[in-house]
Amino acid sequence: MSELPGFELDERTDAQPGLPVLEPAVAEPPPRRGMPAWSRPSVWLPPLVAIAVLAGAWQLYAAHNPFVIPTIPKIFDELTSRPDFYLRNALTTLQEALVGAALGMGIAFLLAVVMSYVRIVERAVLPLAVILNVTPIIAIAPALVVAFGFGPTPKYIITAVLVFFPFLINSLIGLRSADPLALDVLKTLNASHTEILWRLRLPSSLPFLCAGARICVPLSLIGAVVAEFVAAGQTNGLGTLIVTAASLSDLPTIYASVAVLAVIGIALFVLVVLIQRRLLVWHSSANLTK
Amino acid sequence: MEPETGTSSDQADSALVIDGVYKGYPSGRARVPVIENVSLLAPRGQFVTVIGPSGCGKTTLLRIVAGLLEVDRGTVSIFGESVQRASAAKHIGLVPQSPALLPWRTVLDNVRLPLQVNKKPDSDGSRSHADPIAVLKSFGLGHVVNRRPAQLSGGMQHRVAIARAFVFDPPILLMDEPFAAVDELTREMLRHELLSIWQANKKTVLFVTHSISEAIALSDVVVIMSANPGTIRKVIPIGLPRPRNDLVETTEEFHELERQIRIELRDSWRGTK
Repeated sequence: MSELPGFELDERTDAQPGLPVLEPAVAEPPPRRGMPAWSRPSVWLPPLVAIAVLAGAWQLYAAHNPFVIPTIPKIFDELTSRPDFYLRNALTTLQEALVGAALGMGIAFLLAVVMSYVRIVERAVLPLAVILNVTPIIAIAPALVVAFGFGPTPKYIITAVLVFFPFLINSLIGLRSADPLALDVLKTLNASHTEILWRLRLPSSLPFLCAGARICVPLSLIGAVVAEFVAAGQTNGLGTLIVTAASLSDLPTIYASVAVLAVIGIALFVLVVLIQRRLLVWHSSANLTK
Repeated sequence: MEPETGTSSDQADSALVIDGVYKGYPSGRARVPVIENVSLLAPRGQFVTVIGPSGCGKTTLLRIVAGLLEVDRGTVSIFGESVQRASAAKHIGLVPQSPALLPWRTVLDNVRLPLQVNKKPDSDGSRSHADPIAVLKSFGLGHVVNRRPAQLSGGMQHRVAIARAFVFDPPILLMDEPFAAVDELTREMLRHELLSIWQANKKTVLFVTHSISEAIALSDVVVIMSANPGTIRKVIPIGLPRPRNDLVETTEEFHELERQIRIELRDSWRGTK
């Protein structure tokens, strides 16, 4: 007999006669002390069921269509038959992603520092950065291969270019987010630009830098894999492995590589979140990511 | 009328001299004056409060004295020096409208901040700094030195902001409605704390407020400003005996001053209509 969504009418004995009491239909049990949230079945059971259902559907479909997707045991066999081979290729791709990300994020941050102090640099550079961002940068990948060959250099460049813009914007907003009244206090103390940057602007920007890293680190993995697609051949790496396997219609190898990429992606993301929690104990966002 | 809190012979001994200051903001082609022809003398060790309706330029005046805004005309000097030199010598302590504490620093590290930047004036040996922990204890914050600002109540955060301004012992303190954002009871408590701390070390203070009772309880002189453009309307010396405590607000004299200032403010407000 519920008349309002989420509420139900309940005639309680302690309520005034004839006056129904509005109460939330789902009473949230108070969180029990000493028990982490993930240990409650209501937290871990739903995603587990979802994964099980998905795996079942995959398996069912793969059993009848082996040329569309391989069965899960087949992927597993492929992975366990030559783990060092996958590890070697994974390390190559991971290295490309991390070097590219460090390069792109580093340059973006330094440029944001300059831009936050010198307006004219911002006016000059920001439109270029926007153009770089809206251009599907993968399009220049073949040109980079022509210029730099099949070595790691074009992979670093593509990955760096991919993460550059999101990190530039996050850094710029972060550096500008400093409390203007705290800035006033430092200015009346005649603090230098470096002191203001180091003691106020940089720590104020940390929540934004962390948010940027959460976008850019997974993006760097995409950059490295796609760069390997274009410049497959000389060096190895999971992207190279995938295109080579595709040309041989070797589905288990492709999905095994994808599985390894997923594990790397999760590991990188968890790492970023852990660093963020460490850096931002003082910030409310540190509690939101739990 | 030249509103002054002392005669010109005191000028040499004045902590703060504001002389014929004009400040405007561009609006279209013209410049709209925010404050016009403002002159003020604050003798050393006096507590001077500026009060006035919103938009009368009190905060603008304070920001000029703090060196955060440039004047269009007129001069400001602090202990005979330009504002820039006073700021370079760390002679100015600012308590802004909100506590503006750095959330990633503990209370103690927030109070240490002024000692960590622009270290040149500290190194010439002429200054003695208070021990940050001792300052925090004198503000009743001895038990929270290792907490972060987010773990403190609003009133405590304001106390930390005031302690931060006291710690490097600047000869002049500028306070811009420092208690505007806290509730009435906390505000009264903070006022009495400030009163007792100020009476203990007698710094020159320029204080900006909306509150008439706050102005009277704290000040040696109340400066009433009127708006459009911001000018000084009247300077009222507060002759209440010192040291004062919270009981001062119950005296007949206090109420008489309150009435007088209220009438002036009402007239200044009407004058702008």
